[in-house]
Amino acid sequence: MKRALITGIGGQDGAYLAKLLLEQGYEVHGSSRDAQAAAFAGLAKLGIREQVKALSMAPGDFHSVLAALGEIRPHEIYNLSGQSSVGLSFEQPVATMESVLGATMNLLEAMRSLGGGMRLFSAGSGECFGETGAVPANEATPFRPHSPYAVAKSAAHWLVSNYREAYGLFACTGILFNHESPLRPERFVTQKIVQVAKRIAAGSKQKLELGNTRVVRDWGWAPEYVEAMYLMLQQDRADDYVVATGESVSLEDFIRFTFEHLGLDWKEHVVANQALLRPLDIVESRADPAKAARVLGWTARTRVRDVVARLAS
Amino acid sequence: MTQKKVALITGITGQDGAYLAEFLLDKGYTVHGIRRRSSLFNTDRIDHLYKDPHDKGARLFLHYGDMTDSMSLTRVIQQVQPDEIYNLAAQSHVAVSFEEPEYTANSDALGALRMLEAIRILGLEKKTRFYQASTSELYGLVQEVPQKETTPFYPRSPYGVAKLYAYWITVNYREAYGLYACNGILFNHESPVRGETFVTRKITRALARIKLGLQDCLYLGNLDAKRDWGHARDYVEAQWLMLQQEKPEDFVIASGEQHSVRDFVNAAAAEIGMKLDWKGKGVDEHGIDGQGRVVVRVDPRYFRPAEVETLLGDPTKAREKLGWKAKVTFQELVAEMMVADMTEAERDELVKREGYLAPSRHE
Repeated sequence: MKRALITGIGGQDGAYLAKLLLEQGYEVHGSSRDAQAAAFAGLAKLGIREQVKALSMAPGDFHSVLAALGEIRPHEIYNLSGQSSVGLSFEQPVATMESVLGATMNLLEAMRSLGGGMRLFSAGSGECFGETGAVPANEATPFRPHSPYAVAKSAAHWLVSNYREAYGLFACTGILFNHESPLRPERFVTQKIVQVAKRIAAGSKQKLELGNTRVVRDWGWAPEYVEAMYLMLQQDRADDYVVATGESVSLEDFIRFTFEHLGLDWKEHVVANQALLRPLDIVESRADPAKAARVLGWTARTRVRDVVARLAS
Repeated sequence: MTQKKVALITGITGQDGAYLAEFLLDKGYTVHGIRRRSSLFNTDRIDHLYKDPHDKGARLFLHYGDMTDSMSLTRVIQQVQPDEIYNLAAQSHVAVSFEEPEYTANSDALGALRMLEAIRILGLEKKTRFYQASTSELYGLVQEVPQKETTPFYPRSPYGVAKLYAYWITVNYREAYGLYACNGILFNHESPVRGETFVTRKITRALARIKLGLQDCLYLGNLDAKRDWGHARDYVEAQWLMLQQEKPEDFVIASGEQHSVRDFVNAAAAEIGMKLDWKGKGVDEHGIDGQGRVVVRVDPRYFRPAEVETLLGDPTKAREKLGWKAKVTFQELVAEMMVADMTEAERDELVKREGYLAPSRHE
């Protein structure tokens, strides 16, 4: 039986990935900094809380990582932990860096030290490309990060590449663009839009306060993105892949789709709030996931309108 | 300069820190430096600049601090209220970064962020200009030749990755908070006070000692590695110039000329009248002197897990916008280093001849 270790099991992707791997017959271990205190609400929601073996591991503590990997000896490791909010990274740049690069480095070093052909998937980010303009970013597009979060993810990306080339480790980065699901917490803008719109549809007089709604992003469906993660570790050769739908729309469109789905006119309910603007933001982010389609046979099936419909239902 | 400027240099005890401190003192600056605590004296390179702080004319001051300690950095910046900060401190050895990746990331990547955060937290965004020592190692597996400011990065070592973080976080603070912050992407720069474990200094030091019979053989890694080498004294001037512009920008600082490690060995040997004959290939390649002794060998221990084969900088932007150009030629650089290391070797040889202990240091 194959064993997998998922760090950041408490998050959206961790829960969907655990479900997928259980269906594939894996023994799934999930780590959290304190497994006894963690709620694992995502796992519970998916009804798999009891099937996942929870362990306490601090990804930022090398000895903790080394001990966990040595004990479990996973065939596959999925590096999903880390501070994941772009906005928060401006407030907590050091902690963001430590949780993103530190955890990645500890996993890579532990793999190097233990040997045994463990495979690593590391969660990268489309934020690394920064402003793409009209030309969609692919794996060969240079990074141009615009936030402490994206800078940390860029460094982690190159560290994975470096350990792959220097030591021949099977380590991949998935350059994931935005992917949503009901498991996203409300501090993410998409979830906030949907939850507030639903409350308004139910009669609330609440206004939806947002920062910059002109931004253009590529939004996909999280349960499909974890399939791409899994597929990357089933190849003959380790490589990096852009994972996205290939279709970008503005946040305004996303809002419009949401309110339309609920039979509302968004213009009556949305107000701009300057305080929600980030010190620096990406205007346009576009992705070209052709390589994932060609090599992994993976494409996003749920497009943004369907993403909205599923979230709002 | 109407009002005397105050500069803070991290890494003041290093090669660039020492040259930059001297340069800024000559310009009339008051210079503060941060040094790490060590049980060994570590201020050799700046001792000639240092005056007792009680001395009225003293303009160079040292503070204890560490790039891994936010508190020390914040406190020193608060006390000094610098007009300019030069962030030169780093674990700067590529090969060592494969052995100490965590420390390298902590001091080189997070260290730069800690400095930028301190400026912001202390409300010095409008006052303090920031220089970040970036590196040609960012280009690693080079994506175009020669490398310029627009060439995409491809780091090949934990050092390169840590410096990539520092580069982008510097750009990010410039764009997000309007900080005057610049990256100097410096290609290799050497001098007689280059660290003894860096390949150029290792070569000139070893050849001098071989010449005087203090050492038998010089062991090197990749002889085919090609680098763009300049003199540190020239390069610190570019660092200063970057902070004197109307708006902050990033610059490649390089000589625009490339030589292999083997070329460097040949040039250094020629300076002391040694002609080397190269025989063999790959790990068996060796250099033989005029008396038939094998004085240079390859030791695979010095190969890196991932090599950077070639680096060549295009300093056009620095020339056009800063009016900067490398003055010291490759030949002059090698000659200056060789003369200095011959003097050191002669001192060691004299000490040994007179019956005193002349320590031979090893990596």
